[in-house]
Amino acid sequence: MTTPDEVLARAEALRNRLPSSFRDEIVQSLYAEAEQIARRAVKTPENRQYDLDQRIDRLVTAPVSGLLIMLLLLTVVIWLTVSGANVISDLLFTLLFGFGDWARALFVAWGVPWWITGFVWDGVYRSLAWVVSVMLPPMAIFFPAFTLLEDLGYLPRVAFNLDWLFKKAGAHGKQSLTMMMGFGCNAAGVIATRVIDSPRERLVAILTNNFVPCNGRFPTLIMLATVFVAAGFGGAAASLIAASAVVAVVLIGVAFTFLMSWVLSKTVLRGEASAFTLELPPYRRPNVLRILYTSLIDRTIFVLWRAMLTAAPAGAVIWLLANISFGDGSLAIAIARWLDGFGRLLGLDGAILLAYIIAIPANEIVVPTMMMIYTNAGMMVEAPGSDSAIRSLLVDQQGWTLLTAINLMLFSLLHNPCGTTIITIFKETRSYKWAAMSVVITLGTAFIVTFLTATLARLAGWP
Amino acid sequence: MIFWIVLLAGCILWIVLPRIGVLAHYRTWRAARERERLEDALKHLLNREHLGRHATPESLGGALNLSRTAVMRLIEQMEEQGLLETRGMELHLTAEGERWALHVVRAHRLWERYLADEARMPLAQVHAEAQRREHALTADQLDELEAAMGYPRRDPHGDPIPSRAGILPDAEGTPLTAWPLDIPGRIVHLEDEPAIAYEQILAAGLHLGQTIRVLERTPQRLTLSDGENEYRLAPAVAANVNLAPLTEVEAARNHTIPLSDLPLRQTAEIVAIDDALQGFTRRRLLDLGLTPGAVVYPELQNAFADPRAYRVRGTLIALRQDQAARILVRPQSLN
Amino acid sequence: MTRPTTDLCATCPAHARLEQMGIKMDRYDRVVALAGNPNTGKSTLFNALTGLKQHTGNWPGKTVTRAEGGYQFNGVKYKLVDLPGAYSLLSTSQDEEVARDFLLFGQPDCTIVVTDATALERNLNLVLQVLEITDKVVVAVNLIDEARRKGIDVDTRTLSRDLGVPAVPIVARSGEGIITLLATVADVIEGRIATHPRRVEGTPAFQQAIQELTPLIEQLAPGIPNARWLAIRLLEGDARVQRAIRSGELADILARQRTTADRLSGTMAVMGRQ
Repeated sequence: MTTPDEVLARAEALRNRLPSSFRDEIVQSLYAEAEQIARRAVKTPENRQYDLDQRIDRLVTAPVSGLLIMLLLLTVVIWLTVSGANVISDLLFTLLFGFGDWARALFVAWGVPWWITGFVWDGVYRSLAWVVSVMLPPMAIFFPAFTLLEDLGYLPRVAFNLDWLFKKAGAHGKQSLTMMMGFGCNAAGVIATRVIDSPRERLVAILTNNFVPCNGRFPTLIMLATVFVAAGFGGAAASLIAASAVVAVVLIGVAFTFLMSWVLSKTVLRGEASAFTLELPPYRRPNVLRILYTSLIDRTIFVLWRAMLTAAPAGAVIWLLANISFGDGSLAIAIARWLDGFGRLLGLDGAILLAYIIAIPANEIVVPTMMMIYTNAGMMVEAPGSDSAIRSLLVDQQGWTLLTAINLMLFSLLHNPCGTTIITIFKETRSYKWAAMSVVITLGTAFIVTFLTATLARLAGWP
Repeated sequence: MIFWIVLLAGCILWIVLPRIGVLAHYRTWRAARERERLEDALKHLLNREHLGRHATPESLGGALNLSRTAVMRLIEQMEEQGLLETRGMELHLTAEGERWALHVVRAHRLWERYLADEARMPLAQVHAEAQRREHALTADQLDELEAAMGYPRRDPHGDPIPSRAGILPDAEGTPLTAWPLDIPGRIVHLEDEPAIAYEQILAAGLHLGQTIRVLERTPQRLTLSDGENEYRLAPAVAANVNLAPLTEVEAARNHTIPLSDLPLRQTAEIVAIDDALQGFTRRRLLDLGLTPGAVVYPELQNAFADPRAYRVRGTLIALRQDQAARILVRPQSLN
Repeated sequence: MTRPTTDLCATCPAHARLEQMGIKMDRYDRVVALAGNPNTGKSTLFNALTGLKQHTGNWPGKTVTRAEGGYQFNGVKYKLVDLPGAYSLLSTSQDEEVARDFLLFGQPDCTIVVTDATALERNLNLVLQVLEITDKVVVAVNLIDEARRKGIDVDTRTLSRDLGVPAVPIVARSGEGIITLLATVADVIEGRIATHPRRVEGTPAFQQAIQELTPLIEQLAPGIPNARWLAIRLLEGDARVQRAIRSGELADILARQRTTADRLSGTMAVMGRQ
């Protein structure tokens, strides 16, 4: 009777007798056989006509046209997302907040204690409604658009075009795709890193994904760019300047991605770039219905659900902070004051830092939380409607300068991932260490960069 | 006051807590250190035995950089564990000691292979890194590492990797110093110790799998050529390079160029994948159909001319230039 | 979710019906695995059969977990398992391991290998590897419309004969040929179509080693269906197979298989009475 160990020992002995290239030979004989069978069963035309695919490929990978097409598509997708989302967002906002006000009035009419009404409707519900109305529309536009490009077969070409840059940073070309996904949502970008085989390069992609601003951060960036950077310019020039400021911030983010990838691959994630094999599949007509369904169900609802799970408790915390009295104001104001010194050091202020701390579940509620602290309101409030009203609130009453605005843009770009993303990073890496690392790296960078700009600006005697 | 008490209690807990406390960490660290020293000693003994000489307390102390009392304590401890026997001044490995030593050598060489192939670490660094990591894995984990890499037989320097059962084949090939003049041979082994000689070999640009011939041999130096470049080595260094006769495939490598040099839109046939490319990357390339005999056609390149995309067996596959350089092809005539 | 089928071909029974069952598969009679290279339309076929809307994108590595769905064909309930797209089953990448493990240890009743008619040679590599593992295989030659447009003609009858298993031309996107495919799968499972899969020989030395090792495995687990393939994997040093041999998992598989066979013969007896 043979025992398992005998069989294994025999296998090892036989293996050592074979030439060391025998694995190569197995693959070789498989392909040789496949070739032979295919030759008998497949008839290919003698003169294959010049393929449309090939013509498209040359166009999208050529130095100039390739780059232009890539930038154009990215701009179109982001523009569609941002402008299209505004319309739906406003609609959802009216709807959800209308319902909230109605339900709140109902509670008041029933004589429910104020703190229950406040906690439920001004805290938890408001935060949920805010996240849904700000987060859902951009994702509902961005993800289908992205999936469309993916199913067309265009995305692998992007990885192909950009791989050289990633190689220089010790990373993988497919990281470009996870970054593009990050524009939609960093949590989705982190999940998308599954397309990268090598664990080392995948970790690089995961840890740097947050340097790409997601949908949740775009409104903040755009608001700051329009109200502060483009202030003083009129008409078309203003919107051009604002747009360039946003693009500049995005480019800074991309630069940081490369820089941090390079640093990581020279330090904690040492090693050269590994096997890079990328199939460029033929272009295929996408199935629009399926794209809509899958990107809405699989990606959007999934991400939204995770965000809601973290936003509800955040809403509760925010409401509590704003409604528990402490000294001569609320607890929120007290903490903001306490943080102010450190905030000023970074060219920001205490209210901004506090907003970022308690709005960790979702970047969408940072601005309303900030406004809540500034106006000393009992709940999250929308920024004033007009540019001049925002300016008067922030500049005249809170002492903001252009430096505050620029540093806030930088901080918003570089700061730690939102709660959803951190959880996703943990789930994908199954390691507390890397999840913590993703926070340390980004937050460290944000502190250092804003501190440097603030110090330099002050040394130069600027505001 | 209460604050200070809590803080103090916290600090004490932080130090003495089992498993996560500082003390516990220190103890684990010390145990690991001791194990490392023990394993390094075993490796030294095994090495000496392979060279046909036996280790002595002096040689052991020199190799591990230990004082005489420390060496004696170590030897005593190893004798107690049944790992070695002393015969006069000679130290002999017991069967148990040899088994353990082979395990460490196996771990070291597998790690070197892994670091070179999968982590793509520069060759000059792999030895030191493997030296650090060789003590961490259990035999089962090693088996998995070995299987994941597809059972490599040799480490990146050409040294044989012992099997789990502990069979250690001899290093193959003939040293350059004994290789006949003007006969081409393939480099099958580069001795990585002493490190100075190894660095010189690498700095000269020699690597495993390279085909070279000896042009001239004087007592001062050897002159080598791989057909393109000439290399000069001191005999003491050259003795650390082993050559083996060419196989049929290698003999057929004439008139081939690396795939990375193949002009765009020119058809070629794959002749071989460089032996220096091993592990996951090699298997991935083969699985994608880049096998000897396959026809490749570089169809596209990006703005940086790296990577390029090749049509292989009906599919367009992009490869980086440094990988394509490891694939040898024979261009087909244009008509 | 019953969809009237429009493309009944001459060879299949007129009452052939496909019913998509989505993820309701609490009770099923057969397990069918879906394998294939990336970008061959594997998930399109999966979605067409189950009525689910899996999205897997153009990437290997997207489906690291396997997707499952169900369909009913001619009254028999099938569980369909979508394996990750892979170029080969020989490497150690995670996707390939999932696919390989399921084919060997999941013991599907039949495996559909989806291939791209425009790049058949590359796809056949995987087909041949699947044929090493299991006899019950149907090759779906997908994207036959695209091939036609490019002037490529695939003779599936020659292909069937050379591979020793049925090959069915389909267009997963439009549903063309799907009923024939399902009928063929049913025929292969019930043994109405006998398969004689083509096995790749390899070099003489390799062949000899396999011949020496196979009987040992058969002694270890008498009646094991893929002894030859296990021998190949052992020779290559597959850690998963080594573990299975050491831990006695092979015997478990055999036991499981017997109970499945018993259960199925019971089901068929009931159906026969009806």
